[in-house]
Amino acid sequence: MIKKLLFLCLLFIGLGGFFAKAQDDLIPKDSVDFWKFLIIQKSVPGLGYSLKINKEEDLNKLDSLNGLNYTKTDSGYFSRVFEDFGLVKSQSDQFEKDSIDYAAVFLVFSNPTSLEATQEYVANLIRNGDFQLVFEERDFAEDLVALAQKFPYSPLLKFKLLFISDFKLFIVTLVIVFFFIVSIGMILFMIILKLRKTNRENQLKEFEMLIVDPLTKLLFEKELDEINEMSKTDFYAYFPKEYLSNQMFKEVIIERIISLNKKMKGEFKGKLKLIYQKLDLDKVSLGMLEYAKWHKITEALVQINEMDLMEALPKVEKLVNSDNFHIRSHAVATLLNLSQKVDLMFLKDQTYPLSDWQQMNYLRIIKFVNTIKPIQVEVLFESENPSIRIFGIKLIRILGRVDMIGNLSKMTETATEEELVEILETFDTLGAHMEIHVINNCILSENDQVVFYAAKAGATLGNAHTVDLIANRLVEKSDSFRTRKQLLRTLHVLDALRFDHITLDKVDSTIQDLRAHILDPMLSHV
Amino acid sequence: MYNFLFYFLLEVFGWMFLILSFCVIAIYITLMILSALEMRDYIRKNRFADYGDIITSPIAPGVSILAPAFNEGKSIVQNAQSLLSLHYGKFEVIIINDGSKDDTLEKLIESFELKKTNYAYYPEIETKPVRGIYRSTNMSYRRLMVIDKENGGKADALNAGINVASLDVLACIDVDCILSSDSISRMVRPFMEETNRKVIAVGGVIGIANNCDVQDGTVTHYRVPESTLGKFQVIEYFRAFLMGRMAWSRINGLMLISGAFGFFKTDLVRKVGGYFPKTVGEDMELVVRMRRYMDEEGIPYKLGFVPDPLCWTEVPENEDVLSRQRNRWMRGTIETLQLHRQVRLNRKYGVLGLASYPFWSIFEKSGPVLEITGLVYTMILLITGDFSAIYFFALLALMYLLSLLVSAFSVLYEQVAFNNYKDKKDLRKLIWMIILEPFVVHPKIIWWGLKGHIDFIKGKGGWGGMIRTGFKKAEDKKNLQTTTT
Repeated sequence: MIKKLLFLCLLFIGLGGFFAKAQDDLIPKDSVDFWKFLIIQKSVPGLGYSLKINKEEDLNKLDSLNGLNYTKTDSGYFSRVFEDFGLVKSQSDQFEKDSIDYAAVFLVFSNPTSLEATQEYVANLIRNGDFQLVFEERDFAEDLVALAQKFPYSPLLKFKLLFISDFKLFIVTLVIVFFFIVSIGMILFMIILKLRKTNRENQLKEFEMLIVDPLTKLLFEKELDEINEMSKTDFYAYFPKEYLSNQMFKEVIIERIISLNKKMKGEFKGKLKLIYQKLDLDKVSLGMLEYAKWHKITEALVQINEMDLMEALPKVEKLVNSDNFHIRSHAVATLLNLSQKVDLMFLKDQTYPLSDWQQMNYLRIIKFVNTIKPIQVEVLFESENPSIRIFGIKLIRILGRVDMIGNLSKMTETATEEELVEILETFDTLGAHMEIHVINNCILSENDQVVFYAAKAGATLGNAHTVDLIANRLVEKSDSFRTRKQLLRTLHVLDALRFDHITLDKVDSTIQDLRAHILDPMLSHV
Repeated sequence: MYNFLFYFLLEVFGWMFLILSFCVIAIYITLMILSALEMRDYIRKNRFADYGDIITSPIAPGVSILAPAFNEGKSIVQNAQSLLSLHYGKFEVIIINDGSKDDTLEKLIESFELKKTNYAYYPEIETKPVRGIYRSTNMSYRRLMVIDKENGGKADALNAGINVASLDVLACIDVDCILSSDSISRMVRPFMEETNRKVIAVGGVIGIANNCDVQDGTVTHYRVPESTLGKFQVIEYFRAFLMGRMAWSRINGLMLISGAFGFFKTDLVRKVGGYFPKTVGEDMELVVRMRRYMDEEGIPYKLGFVPDPLCWTEVPENEDVLSRQRNRWMRGTIETLQLHRQVRLNRKYGVLGLASYPFWSIFEKSGPVLEITGLVYTMILLITGDFSAIYFFALLALMYLLSLLVSAFSVLYEQVAFNNYKDKKDLRKLIWMIILEPFVVHPKIIWWGLKGHIDFIKGKGGWGGMIRTGFKKAEDKKNLQTTTT
């Protein structure tokens, strides 16, 4: 910071020096040139001139004595003070003709001053901007009109409008115009948006009033077969024809049927599906799959999923690898829900990483489908996509598929560290005692996470070998605090004596703290 | 010579203010458009989200709620109960008693049947000494853990909480905040949704609870505060959260997640060394450090933002308290920007280095200084006789209209998206506030901000050496002694 300030100061001084030097050069050093310079300037503020005649006899020679008001002093006779050096020059020329002994005296603020001091004074005036220099002798002899005729006219400012010539004003105006155009545009947009929203809300309310009663009548007064036998024209008694051709009315009725479908069960679901199809609302849903906007396609997928529109499945299948996260997620969810054969092959081939959000949604559907038809989770292990393989392992754990433990065991040979962690957690949850060799191998791992989860699984599945491995690791390796805590906890569960042997009488305060922690019943799960 | 330099400088300043005005307009209009697009997308996405699943799903991440408390004896029990009653499957509540001088700890012990445990506290992030860790003997309070430690400030208390937290996501909140019962499930969603990038933190909107009806930990009826400063803060919070942060979130440029309600990935917070207790802007500093870490390691990441009203707090309506708050915010901003000046205009840090950092430097940090300079410039022009009324009033009117437009839009966003202030009287009050704010409150805010600058220069906070060095890398904080006793 100090350096920056110094630099700026130097720059400032340097620039000042440069300008000062340039201005000093304007003052001629030579007295003759300086005189010429003063003649061109006509007058300089604060600078006056006087003529001094040394001998009284010379004074008597002058005709113009009275005009110059000579005053007698000890050093000679001084004329009145001139402000125009041109006058001094013409007078001194006359003196030279008359061979009069004289001298020109410079007066700065009425004080006699030397030539050098006068030069310095003028230089100072220019430097401070208190005096504007004149560089050419004004020639009054020439006629101004004649001079003007020599040069063709060209305007000083090359703009037709004075307004444009003022850059700042022009830019300010541009900014104002830009601001007003954009802000008016935005205000109009928001007003239109708000108006449309209000209109839509009003219309939705109106349509909802028109829909609720007829829909309730159809659901509670008609049997499934009766609805099935109804033709489209029969529905006009419930929903007037002019409304059924209205797009927004269709949207409202779809929304209403879907929300009822979520809440109802059994025969009512069938009735709602039938009404949906009879009113050709399924065609609306299928048509929406062709839209360009992602939210419209997603909405269509939700409708297809809710209303079990099996005929849409081929189109839905094409969307499972969509670029859009929401389309992809809902397409997979719809396929999982509606597909007759749930082989998860389409999920295996997904190229996009599976987010936790997607996993959560798929898990909910798979958990439900799994109760009806067994799912072949193992295909997911063959996926090139690591997130799909991890989801497969999680599925085994959450669905409690003990029959798949062998598959997981095979996987451990090639599994990544992240997959190993999931497998260890699964072994722990499913109580896979036969896989203790995998757990013991993992206790020897160099990866902290793997060791932690192996130790955790070891607490419920471990054997004598696990105890030895943990005891050795605690002595030989310095794992993270969290892992050491887990290793000691597992050791305590598997072999309390060995735990005491390792922790008692140890100088290491961390071990003492961990021992106290593990033995505290209030911290059994912390 | 000096005359020439003087007029040269006047000209330079004239152009500078002209360009600055244009930039302000262009940037704020861009922010308005970006936030509108982000809000539209958020509302669309929300239509397809089912939050019910998150509460019970085994795939949803666990959340450790960290709530530092200092002299909160009057309300701590109610606040802790409110936190324990949140609707979420896997969460723990860690209250950190930061050396309170009142009966905060005693009240907690008594109300939640707490007992001191032998918890092995390991200060992975350095903190002031921990006196004890308490848990309840009553299973109903099994999620609660209380840390009693020596006073070290909010950041130090949070660091103690981070050392103890055992779940995937940290929710750092002010203990007196009111949280909506579904706040965790909504804030956790961005962490779960992203596929190609790691979500490192998620910020939320903070609503103003002054003058509102609160029932069962949720604001049931919104009312605009009665005081001018209260009303001003309602508009200011709309502008900051619904406009500013939404817009920055769209281009992944968020540099601040409010310390009163922010969610962070536990492993990453630990990796970067937790909060930096020597700055008063610890929330912003942590976010910048986390972002730097990800950029330096070349890991794709994102910061999320949830605009739903999920958290409310009481804002200061008293000038003294508000001035201190603004002074602190300004110092926090300056300190963070100084500490991370390596980021400035550095392409390695992407949006953070090229957009967010310069924006914060020019508009947030230097805003008060520039405004005061503008005022001085106008005075000089008046004295020298070079004052141009047309420029002055054109620019003044422009800036005033911009302020009206931005504020009006932020209120409009709130109305379109959430419509919480339903009473027309409240809306009228807000509109009046928008019109008067630039004359009534803004000058005070500028003055308080300027005082923040002065205090920073004076060295208030006492860590001048650090600010000169800055962090060469995000991980430097871990090697720094921060809690000298």
